[in-house]
Amino acid sequence: MKNKTKAFKHLEKWEGTLANCIRCGYCFEHCPLFKYTGWESDAPRAKIITAFGLLSGEMGPSESAAHKLFSCFYCKRCEAACSSGVKLTEVFTDAKKDLIEMGFNGPGTTSTTQMNCARCLICLGACPHEARSHEKGRGIVVDPVKCKGCGICIEVCPAGAAKIQNSFGTNRKDLMERASLFMTTHTSAKAIVFACNWSYYPDLQASALPDAETRDKSYEILVNMCGGRLERQLLMAPFIHNAWGVMVAVCPDEKCEHNGNLRAKERVEDLRNTLKSIRIDPERLQLVQIPAGDKTKFQAEIDTFVDRLNVLGPIR
Amino acid sequence: MKTIDEERLRAIVGEANIKTDPSDLYIYGSDSSVHHAMPWAVVRPKTTAQVQAVLRYANEALIPVIARGGGSGMCGQTVPVMGGIILDMKGMNKILEINLADVYCRVEPGVVDDDLNLALKPHGMFFPPTPASSRIATIGGEIANNASGVRSVKYGATRDAVLGMKVVLPNGDLVNLGARTRVEASGYQLHKLMVGSEGTLGIVVEATLSFVPIPEFRCMGIANFNTLKDAGDAISSIMASGAIPSMLELVDDVAIKAVNKTMNLGLKEVAAALIFEADGMVREAVDYEINKMKVICQKHNGEDIYASYDPKERDKIFLGRKSLFPALSKYDDNLASTSLADDMAVPYSKMAEMAGKIHEIADKYNIVMTAYGHCGSGCMHTKILMDTKRKDQWESARKAITEVYDYVRSVNGTTSAEHGIGLSKAESFKIEKADSLHLLSLIKKAVDPNNILNPGKLSQAPEDWVTATNLRYSVNS
Repeated sequence: MKNKTKAFKHLEKWEGTLANCIRCGYCFEHCPLFKYTGWESDAPRAKIITAFGLLSGEMGPSESAAHKLFSCFYCKRCEAACSSGVKLTEVFTDAKKDLIEMGFNGPGTTSTTQMNCARCLICLGACPHEARSHEKGRGIVVDPVKCKGCGICIEVCPAGAAKIQNSFGTNRKDLMERASLFMTTHTSAKAIVFACNWSYYPDLQASALPDAETRDKSYEILVNMCGGRLERQLLMAPFIHNAWGVMVAVCPDEKCEHNGNLRAKERVEDLRNTLKSIRIDPERLQLVQIPAGDKTKFQAEIDTFVDRLNVLGPIR
Repeated sequence: MKTIDEERLRAIVGEANIKTDPSDLYIYGSDSSVHHAMPWAVVRPKTTAQVQAVLRYANEALIPVIARGGGSGMCGQTVPVMGGIILDMKGMNKILEINLADVYCRVEPGVVDDDLNLALKPHGMFFPPTPASSRIATIGGEIANNASGVRSVKYGATRDAVLGMKVVLPNGDLVNLGARTRVEASGYQLHKLMVGSEGTLGIVVEATLSFVPIPEFRCMGIANFNTLKDAGDAISSIMASGAIPSMLELVDDVAIKAVNKTMNLGLKEVAAALIFEADGMVREAVDYEINKMKVICQKHNGEDIYASYDPKERDKIFLGRKSLFPALSKYDDNLASTSLADDMAVPYSKMAEMAGKIHEIADKYNIVMTAYGHCGSGCMHTKILMDTKRKDQWESARKAITEVYDYVRSVNGTTSAEHGIGLSKAESFKIEKADSLHLLSLIKKAVDPNNILNPGKLSQAPEDWVTATNLRYSVNS
């Protein structure tokens, strides 16, 4: 049988937890990464299995094992739902610490394209987790243990150099493309809803429903890590593709782990003024605050918004 | 290990649908059971033609193929004990048709149970087998295991809801089995043979399933008992009375104490509790069933009996049962909740004796075992709580399980009611089915002469489940 390796000194304390995880897999349904890629090896249980493999010595430390453990965006929905009470993200963090000490520097949740970086250091101050620093000769360095992937650095970066790694479609370019694709392929398309990962968005199940491909919808929900990362150009982009309105769903006050909701609120308010100044009804851009998991409220807010857009009609 | 022609697999499913990295393979070597073994590749087909092409290749190269759904199996059914290709069927996830006029739906095997119910709900319908893992369990996996759940006492198991299916055979041929009609009497019911075959006979690529209307009324009740015997007699009397419960669950004292300990629910710590439910379209009919069950519980010295239609009250009644699964895994930091001998079935009249036997055996071997389950369908669940680091605890578990199964067979019960055999239960399965094992192997050989589909499972599984694979725990030597 197995003997655990001594190299994982942070992970070691979770040995009992790794046995107590009953591996039911019920965390799958809560993981946006799994829902996006559809690979079981991206689900939270997969990371627990990887952590066990590393600690027990069944699996040697490798780039690919590190990649698995680093690919988490700390939405913590798996943790909130775990019936065995496993503190999944704390296990992942300790595994990451050990792997980093061994020289495996996984992709990290956010990074900076050094070539584009102007060294303005705005992201250092904006990062709510103190994950960014400036090192001489290396430029902006992201601590992959501290970074929680909220993406606020992306919103503040004036040079477009900050980005989310392994973003499952949540980088600016991906989101813009997805918004444009929806607007141009659905005849009834009216609105884009940018939803924070915590909102338990409806319509995101692992199976394709009978009419999924042909169904004409009036809105599309685009999930991202945190409302705090929604840049101005991203929020305005759907209007270029003839959207009637844009909705932003964030967590209630005091409930955001990154205080990104407050940033989103300010930004939306600001953009509403901009819309007003160019004689577009500011109601076409709306922010709603949804408690985590309240699918019903979220759906009701979307329906109300779409009803309102139907009254306003298209932008002339 | 054989060499796999990765390029050929890539050409079939495309670069984006194959994984050969050791860490992916390690992850796909596990499910919800105690077992672990390494596959050689993970392939995610998107079409029937791709499944056919993979099987043609595997059959030619003699490489094992193991179909996998949600990976929620509890007995190691998808653990590749002889290596090979894992077919991750979650990529075939389309609900193809909901036909209300003919009361059937057609789905691909990777459709998640809850998602199917989400699609049926607007039509006032539901797919009833629904195991506890319905949030991740796929229809393909449910078919492979003949899954069932709390409402199977009234609505039956997966087998009862499968009308027909398309299956890819090991040589890559596609066959249509069953029909789209409610009844069929045309020869061997091969689609029913596929149900419960644990991926050893063919790969289901499409299933035609029946569904039923969502009842207008549900009423749930509870009764406490001071002896297990009284609770057991009540179960037997309810089922013998012709009552039609839509749920009939037993929870024993160990389970009640576990829930109280970890969740602080303050449930009355009696020897056993029965939770019963009836549903229907007419309230009077539901009342009739509930009253019948209440009177029977009373007759068998049931106490604190009450029932309610109110959804909040129903949730409260069911909370103890619902909390059991998490409560057992949080029972003690040093004890892990393992899925072993966890779903046998015995005749109704033996339910109480079975629960008593479980307690007796647990005491004898100094492990914690609890008895609960869907006693309305004869199914008894247990969990073995043990210190998985200690080798002697595994030895105790092994002996305890052998004794539990010896009892189950002695009263004409069966090894598995709903989780399947896989690796963990092969020992008892083989003893139980001793006189038909040869017939099983003849069927397997006729359909899969090269033994490529999930080899080493069911009747081929090793008797000793402890050494059948690596255990997924660190065990001190």
